[in-house]
Amino acid sequence: MSTAPLEVEEPLTDEAIGTDRPWLVIVWNDPVNLMSYVVYVFQKLFGYSREKATRLMLQVHHDGKAAVSEGTREKAEADVARLHAHGLWATMEHPS
Amino acid sequence: MSPRFDRRGDAVVVTLEANEVDLLRTIPDEVRSALTESPSKDDPVYNRLFPSAYLDPTEESAEQEWQELVHPELLQSRLAALELVVATLDRAVTKRGRAEVELAPEEVEAWLGVVNDARLTLGTRLGVTEDAESEAIDPSDPQAPAHAVYGWLTWFENDLVETLLG
Repeated sequence: MSTAPLEVEEPLTDEAIGTDRPWLVIVWNDPVNLMSYVVYVFQKLFGYSREKATRLMLQVHHDGKAAVSEGTREKAEADVARLHAHGLWATMEHPS
Repeated sequence: MSPRFDRRGDAVVVTLEANEVDLLRTIPDEVRSALTESPSKDDPVYNRLFPSAYLDPTEESAEQEWQELVHPELLQSRLAALELVVATLDRAVTKRGRAEVELAPEEVEAWLGVVNDARLTLGTRLGVTEDAESEAIDPSDPQAPAHAVYGWLTWFENDLVETLLG
């Protein structure tokens, strides 16, 4: 029987999480944008496969929102701008 | 009759009835006024066309910087798309009563963007819901014509997107 002690992961400090934690780009459901159009935009802007773009679109549709990309603040700001240019309702947030 | 989208290499050939051309010609002015005439965050249409990036109120200054940086570009690219739509409609060729125009890829994107902006504008003004398509519109409703235009644009856009998705 093994007596090896359980390995306990050191909890990350807030600071350690804060430095690498990515910003999330959120797309919100709205009653106007077409499901087909949203799939088209996800594929065009992010190069996602049809399957991934469809999965994200359905998540937006059923859950009211979905995180569609992540990265630094600058990248998230650029992605939000590109989504707005295509008429999608997008915001960005830093999960705590 | 339905508008037809035919892919020809990278281009898309659009075939339209005369009344559809007339309707599409009214769209750029409609969208232009929505983009430029009520630059206020209190206006639901303007707010829908130009949403905030940050929801977190503590990011107010980042939001302001971001708006200052991207808003002029977002506005400019949308106005440029309107010009492209007008220019392409002007060069449509009429054959046997139907208008035909071949759109290069960037022109297709302009059409898609303008039609989508028109739907965002109209849809927000009309307060459409996700079930709007299944709801019967009372013909005596003063907004019935706007609902009809919205419905046609929806159908037109969906057809175009399906063509692009292939």
